[in-house]
Amino acid sequence: MSGLDLAWSEPFSNISGLARRMRLRGISRDWAWGGSTGAGVRVGIVDSGLETDHPRLAGRVVQSVAVELLDGDPRIVPDESGDLYGHATACGGIILGLAPDVELVSIRVLGADLRGKGTAFAAGLEWAIDHGIDVLNLSLSSKSEALFPVFHDLVDRAYFKGTVLVSAANNVPAESYPSLFSSVFSVAAHGEPDPWRLYYNPAPPVEFGAWGVDVPIAWKDGGSTVATGNSFAAPHVAGMVALILSKHPGLAPFEVKAVLAAVADNPRRGAPLPSGLAERG
Amino acid sequence: MVVDDDLTAALTALRAVGRRSSVARRLQGGVEQRLLQSIVDATASLFDAEASSIALFEPDPDRLEFRVAAGAHGAGAVGLQVKPTEGIAGFVFSTGQALALTDVGSDPRFDLKAAERTGYVPRSVAAVPLLDDEGSVGVLQVLDKRSSPSFSLRDMELLAIFASQATTAITATRVQRDTGRLLGEVLREMADGAMTDAHIEALVSDVTRTLDDHPESPFWRLVDHVASLRGLGERDLTLVGDILEVVARHAQRARRRA
Repeated sequence: MSGLDLAWSEPFSNISGLARRMRLRGISRDWAWGGSTGAGVRVGIVDSGLETDHPRLAGRVVQSVAVELLDGDPRIVPDESGDLYGHATACGGIILGLAPDVELVSIRVLGADLRGKGTAFAAGLEWAIDHGIDVLNLSLSSKSEALFPVFHDLVDRAYFKGTVLVSAANNVPAESYPSLFSSVFSVAAHGEPDPWRLYYNPAPPVEFGAWGVDVPIAWKDGGSTVATGNSFAAPHVAGMVALILSKHPGLAPFEVKAVLAAVADNPRRGAPLPSGLAERG
Repeated sequence: MVVDDDLTAALTALRAVGRRSSVARRLQGGVEQRLLQSIVDATASLFDAEASSIALFEPDPDRLEFRVAAGAHGAGAVGLQVKPTEGIAGFVFSTGQALALTDVGSDPRFDLKAAERTGYVPRSVAAVPLLDDEGSVGVLQVLDKRSSPSFSLRDMELLAIFASQATTAITATRVQRDTGRLLGEVLREMADGAMTDAHIEALVSDVTRTLDDHPESPFWRLVDHVASLRGLGERDLTLVGDILEVVARHAQRARRRA
């Protein structure tokens, strides 16, 4: 492993490198989500379980399930454990901050059994795809080669079914799935303190940059804190996707991606940068 | 009986394999520890942080064990064990996602028990996973940068680079650390169902127990001495080699006379 690899978030710390010559015209943020609150859209959070009575989640959690492993075989059961770490609740709070009227579904795949965590993750993903979830926020990834074909199949199923998968990129640019599959909305962090600031990366595999540095978040036991990481950038994009799907139901994942790329804050090639942006890290 | 002879020979071979593996582990173990220590030393110093530490995953029972630490408030963490399903270290280990939290000390619910056990409750913490080809093997943590209340993206990227160095050090010595597991797997494969798990376990524990029984025995002291010669130059090493050769010849003659 080379120690000199750049992190996936690197493109978003030098905004001038994101300049684009062409982009789709005629699609504005107002067209994309103006007036939308996310109503009617179900967002699943595949993570550590949502703390349903957290004030920041404002009673928007409509269902909570967990993946249990019985002799290695996964099964889906109702979940009342709350949030093991605080992380899922943080993601839910960020999504509601952008799209206050979405319905949240908690899919807990992190638990006591560490050996089966890749299997549990895949089972949770499969359940969500089969149960009408419109947008899935994933802050996990797997490096397991054995699970590569499993995730590949699930990601394709989600794509053809119209389920948008939004995944946090790992901080190190090692291969990890499903975040690096082409139909997944892969997100890394930028440091500009604005939940609406979005960048499209013309040099994928990581395609989008959203706020992920010093983000005020909800945390365990009704608490709150301030956090940094790609996993806090992904829910910003999940929130925007929910707004778009609420206003334009039936858009396919590739159309939603095109809309996001069209309304992203990338500078135009040749145009002067907004003051101060180029120097930000 | 032929079967008994075969079994005795196989057991002797198994012990020899286990012994060599254990010697290698003893020789390498210190190196791993020193490498990890140098990584947390560098991390604490580069970030001008109150503490930096590395926790590694250990099975049976599953836990994250803090192996090395540095910084003015690091020492209390060494030896601490936490559940991999708890706290920031647990989350980062379980998900493979890097994470930094600010202002954690002001929230009385945050990981307080674990923090108190180390004797230091931080205001901010950054944690990155140690990822090898299979997944997470541990976590690198930094507590409280003195120059800033939080960690930047650049900080997280730097930490990831330190983490990858630590992972390389760990992966290189993993086989030696898992002598018992390695022997067990080989036996299971060879027996092809003819031996029960309990039988295999008993055999492996017999082999490994006799190896590690007396860490202060003259044999292990000798291994330690050899390990300490690593830093010597070629001339000094040749000299030590010559001396050992003379000692070995003397020992052989003594054995023949006996």
